[in-house]
Amino acid sequence: MGASKKESVEVNKKEEEENKNRKKTQPTKKEKLSTEESLLHKKQEDRAKNYKGFSEDDASEDFKSVEKSEAGDSESSGDEGFHNTSSNEGLANESQSEDSEPDQGGEESDSSEDEVAPRNTVGDVPLEWYRDEKHIGYDITGKKLKKKERQDKLDSFLANVDNSKNWRKIYDEYNDEDVEVTNEETKLIRRMLKGKAPHGDFDLYAVLGLVRAIRKGLIKFDKPKEEPRFYMLWGDDASSSEKTGHLSYIPAPKPNLPGHEESYNPSLEYIPTQEEINSYQLMDEEDRPKFIPKRFMSLRSIPAYENAVKDSFERCLDLYLCPRVHKKRINIDPESLKPKLPSRKDLKPYPATCYLEYKGHKDAVMSISTETSGHWIASGSSDGTVRLWEVETCRCIKVWEFGEVVQYVAWNPLPELPVLAVSVGQDVFLLNTGLGNEETQRKVKELLHVATSTALDDSGNKVSAWSWLQDDKHEGIRLQHFKTVYSVEWHLFHPTRSIFFVSTKKNVRVYDLLKQKLIKKLETGLREVSSISVHPAGDNVIVGSRDGKLCWFDMDLSSKPYKVLKCHPKDITNVAFHRSYPLFASCSDDCTAYVFHGMVYSDLNQNPLIVPLEILRGHAISNGRGVLDCKFHPRQPWLFTAGADSLIKLYCH
Amino acid sequence: MVARKKPSTMVARKKHYRPPGKKKEGNASRYVTRSQAIKQLQVTLGFFRRLSILKGIFPREPKKKFKGNNHTYYHVKDIAFLQHEPLLDKFRDIRAYQKKIKKAEAKKNADLATLLRTREPTYKLDRLVRERYPKFVDALRDLDDCLTMVHLFAALPAVERAKIDVELIHNCRRLSHEWQAYVCRTYKLRKVFISVKGIYYQAEIEGQKITWLTPHAMQQVLPDDVNFSVMLTFLEFYETLLGFVNFRLYHSLNVKYPPILDPKLEALASDLYALSRYIVSNTRTSTLEPKAASSSPSEQLEAKEKEMQADESELRLAQLQHQLPSNEPGALMHLMEGAECENEDDQDTKECKRLFKNMKFFLSREVPRESLLFVIPAFGGVVSWDGEAAPYKEADQSISHQIVDRPTQGHRYLSREYIQPQWIYDCINAWIILPTEAYMVGRIPPPHLSPFVDNDAEGYVPDYAETIKRLQAAARNEVLPMPGVGKEDLDDPQNLLVEGYISRAEASEAAQTKKKMVTLEKQYHEELQSELQGAVMKKSKQGSTEHAKASEESVPDPKQIAEDIETMSKLGMSRKKRGLLEAIEKRKERNTARISKLKERKKKLKSSEN
Repeated sequence: MGASKKESVEVNKKEEEENKNRKKTQPTKKEKLSTEESLLHKKQEDRAKNYKGFSEDDASEDFKSVEKSEAGDSESSGDEGFHNTSSNEGLANESQSEDSEPDQGGEESDSSEDEVAPRNTVGDVPLEWYRDEKHIGYDITGKKLKKKERQDKLDSFLANVDNSKNWRKIYDEYNDEDVEVTNEETKLIRRMLKGKAPHGDFDLYAVLGLVRAIRKGLIKFDKPKEEPRFYMLWGDDASSSEKTGHLSYIPAPKPNLPGHEESYNPSLEYIPTQEEINSYQLMDEEDRPKFIPKRFMSLRSIPAYENAVKDSFERCLDLYLCPRVHKKRINIDPESLKPKLPSRKDLKPYPATCYLEYKGHKDAVMSISTETSGHWIASGSSDGTVRLWEVETCRCIKVWEFGEVVQYVAWNPLPELPVLAVSVGQDVFLLNTGLGNEETQRKVKELLHVATSTALDDSGNKVSAWSWLQDDKHEGIRLQHFKTVYSVEWHLFHPTRSIFFVSTKKNVRVYDLLKQKLIKKLETGLREVSSISVHPAGDNVIVGSRDGKLCWFDMDLSSKPYKVLKCHPKDITNVAFHRSYPLFASCSDDCTAYVFHGMVYSDLNQNPLIVPLEILRGHAISNGRGVLDCKFHPRQPWLFTAGADSLIKLYCH
Repeated sequence: MVARKKPSTMVARKKHYRPPGKKKEGNASRYVTRSQAIKQLQVTLGFFRRLSILKGIFPREPKKKFKGNNHTYYHVKDIAFLQHEPLLDKFRDIRAYQKKIKKAEAKKNADLATLLRTREPTYKLDRLVRERYPKFVDALRDLDDCLTMVHLFAALPAVERAKIDVELIHNCRRLSHEWQAYVCRTYKLRKVFISVKGIYYQAEIEGQKITWLTPHAMQQVLPDDVNFSVMLTFLEFYETLLGFVNFRLYHSLNVKYPPILDPKLEALASDLYALSRYIVSNTRTSTLEPKAASSSPSEQLEAKEKEMQADESELRLAQLQHQLPSNEPGALMHLMEGAECENEDDQDTKECKRLFKNMKFFLSREVPRESLLFVIPAFGGVVSWDGEAAPYKEADQSISHQIVDRPTQGHRYLSREYIQPQWIYDCINAWIILPTEAYMVGRIPPPHLSPFVDNDAEGYVPDYAETIKRLQAAARNEVLPMPGVGKEDLDDPQNLLVEGYISRAEASEAAQTKKKMVTLEKQYHEELQSELQGAVMKKSKQGSTEHAKASEESVPDPKQIAEDIETMSKLGMSRKKRGLLEAIEKRKERNTARISKLKERKKKLKSSEN
């Protein structure tokens, strides 16, 4: 600021002097002014730019030169002095209030003089040095510029008095010539004297705006220092180890590395044949291989990969759109997943191999039953016969013909009364098997004659009305129902207590017969219960279902299954517990029978141990049915299975 | 009051009811959906996307998706993190400023608009880089995507409609070259693989394996269904990241980072070569510098000045050397050796450095120059190419290998071998010098195998991988000083290759026929024996037909037994474990199916050959 003030003062001085010289001025060239004006216009257009270029030093220099050029004339103008003082004062005041304005004026005057070079090239030397010389200096080519002949002072005075335009003339000592001030120049000077900007089209307010902008720092002349774009970002890694209180960063998984097949020249076996490529078209969109290997004979023949940008874009999408989760990739040994069970060898004996086959039936064997002693089995078949077999010799001892499908056969659990119950169509027959000694035979005959027994444990018959008939042909009793006997609902008795199990389609209901109350409802969660068996101890029940699942219920534990074994792909037709060995079995329409070790401990804290032991195969499928029934031998760990292929098999250990 | 309270208490008994104004609990309080987040931040979707890309914020998976499956969930803390980001304000400012410019333009105030344009606010991402990667190693770990993207954009054409301008592409080119120059100079490159998609490189820096893909040097097609603004946002961050990473890496070599390149070489588009020269020359000066720097603090200023001078003089020197008759190998070799001595490398690096030592390569016009110029020096080779500013010309007698990729080679120098470029890559992946027979001009080279596959784990080993393995073993033996090994053994690898490649099929076939013979013999013997015992057997059979039948049926084959055991062991498993096991088995099955398919194809190929 100080510098600019000083300048303004200098300008004032200059103006003063000019003012004094006004009357003494001489004519000047017009070109000078025209150039000056054109420049001025240009300047106002890009003032902002000129601001940058403007430097205070050369401005002040120019002022000095102007001062000097007019110094010579200053002496002769004494009379007009008082005239100017008042205006001068006003000017000073104004210039103090707005010190930017003369700044502007000064700049313009200086640049115009730059444009027209002085003819004299002596430079900034005191002109006194040339006072006694004949020349005033040198022109640009180095030739001496001769001084004009000095007019007599008197003559000049007289000439000035006569000339009306004398006041326009100014003597330029440096170039030794008279300059005439034009009208425009006088206007300019007049405006300056009034304290205004020298040029008419000068917009003061625009300048003020710029000045303000500069003061506020909105316009900057020096370019901001270019900071280095990159620097040592990770200078000391030790200091950066402090934890930010932020969530853990989950790095994105890296893209898969390419395999052999992605090579430009893969082994031939990696390239699919044309048929295989065609078969890809038939595949589902998801299964279709995304990349089809191709072979190029040389490096130069590889084309641009058409999906390069797209792949990259998809990776970008994955990076910012896919939710990321920390996932532990565990390398599990599949063996470790399998539960640790006691080895099967320790759990012997159990039925493992087919030992005997009982042949004779013509059609599927629907049901079998073992006699309590284990010497005999009876089987009912859909060919309408019931056969009695000797277990050890596979000899068929007796055949009863019914002519209708035999649904179910059952032995009397009492060994002293070898009576067989058979359900055929709508009827139930009680048959005298003719086994045992005479004593028992007599008893049996007596019983069947009297025909009052109701304690027969036969298959479930929902009996609404029945009639007893003596059946001579089969030597037994015939219970005639009016409806077909189904095996829809199963019921069993608890082996030791007076508890009664009834199975509905989905649940098993447990009743106390003494209190005549529902004790428990076992929720199987199966689609349809097909068979049920009670553990000889009475606290565990297994239920087989039509969807191939086997449920083990521990009645003390809960009403939900203790374990569900999904072992068969098809319906389970029957399940059975062994009477004395810790074994149970299930048979199914998929022609297999599973044998399990099912150990129940007397210690209530210990859960029952269930170990699958063996899968028994051998039956063939016929009419979509496989094994229809299975029963354990009452004493030995043997299993009888009845198949739809009209065979009965005995599996022994 | 009382009347009001009553229903609320009644309702509060309901499960999951949250009275208004009460804080949320559980996942709903910890996660927000994207639209919620946008609402909270008061930004547009595009804005949010940009910010989350730059900040590296990603969606997370809540345990329970409270708004349904088709929402994106962000963690509340992540969103709070975004909310406190200064960049958010900065972006808002920028947007406001853009509006100003728009307004000025709309009012036809061109002066103001240009003035405003000159002073547009800018932002920097360096703080974000530091924030996302607090340690340098972290940055290296995440560099894969960055490098792939930068290399891709370096190969893209400038497209105005996608706002990909020339400056961006040049910057990408520069960054990628700088990176390559570093990797090349420090011999950190480990694996190279030419795939159909491009060339994969793998380098190992500070223990981090960094893999990146460069597209083939072809004109890339820009698809229409790609949102370039997303990619450009990523690229913006990646450029900054790679710049800082490069700075740090160059700094570790004592090289000034934004490298000043020889303008002549740069003009010839051999930036990589120019860069490597720059690095080499700079490291040489810097090895001398530490003495000066350590002397005294007052002298450091002087040292700095000296450094500046040295830089300039080095550059001039490089230029001068360049103008020297270029088939003077001494200067270049000297430079390389001088640079080598100062750092102690790990074993791998040493081995890599040695691979192409004492070999001199020359690239023909048609080979991919950029890749080979990067790869060969990274393994200690010296390379030149056909063109201006090349260090030596084709006529140089000391050239040992010329890399050619054309069906026939016209004029041949007897002193050198003409090979296809694949030889270089295969040598690199095998870490030995492979015999060149199979890679001669005009031949179809042997299959190019991926170095990223662990063949043994995969379960299928391609033939050529096996031959390479044998060659490697042979090379190792060769290195060991064994007294018994003569010249014949040295020739061995070449023989091995030929033999291995051609006669492997025969060998396996022979083995198979042998097996067949053995089984046939056994059968014959058995038959003989059965004939001898024939009579006895028949009798016994007749006697116990039923039993025998039963026993025959009941004895299942061992496969069946194994299967049974499998199914039975599965019976006792819980559903979760069973699922896991089944998944494992499925995967195994898929793998074996794949491998068996490969084997089958191979068999077919062989049969069709014969």
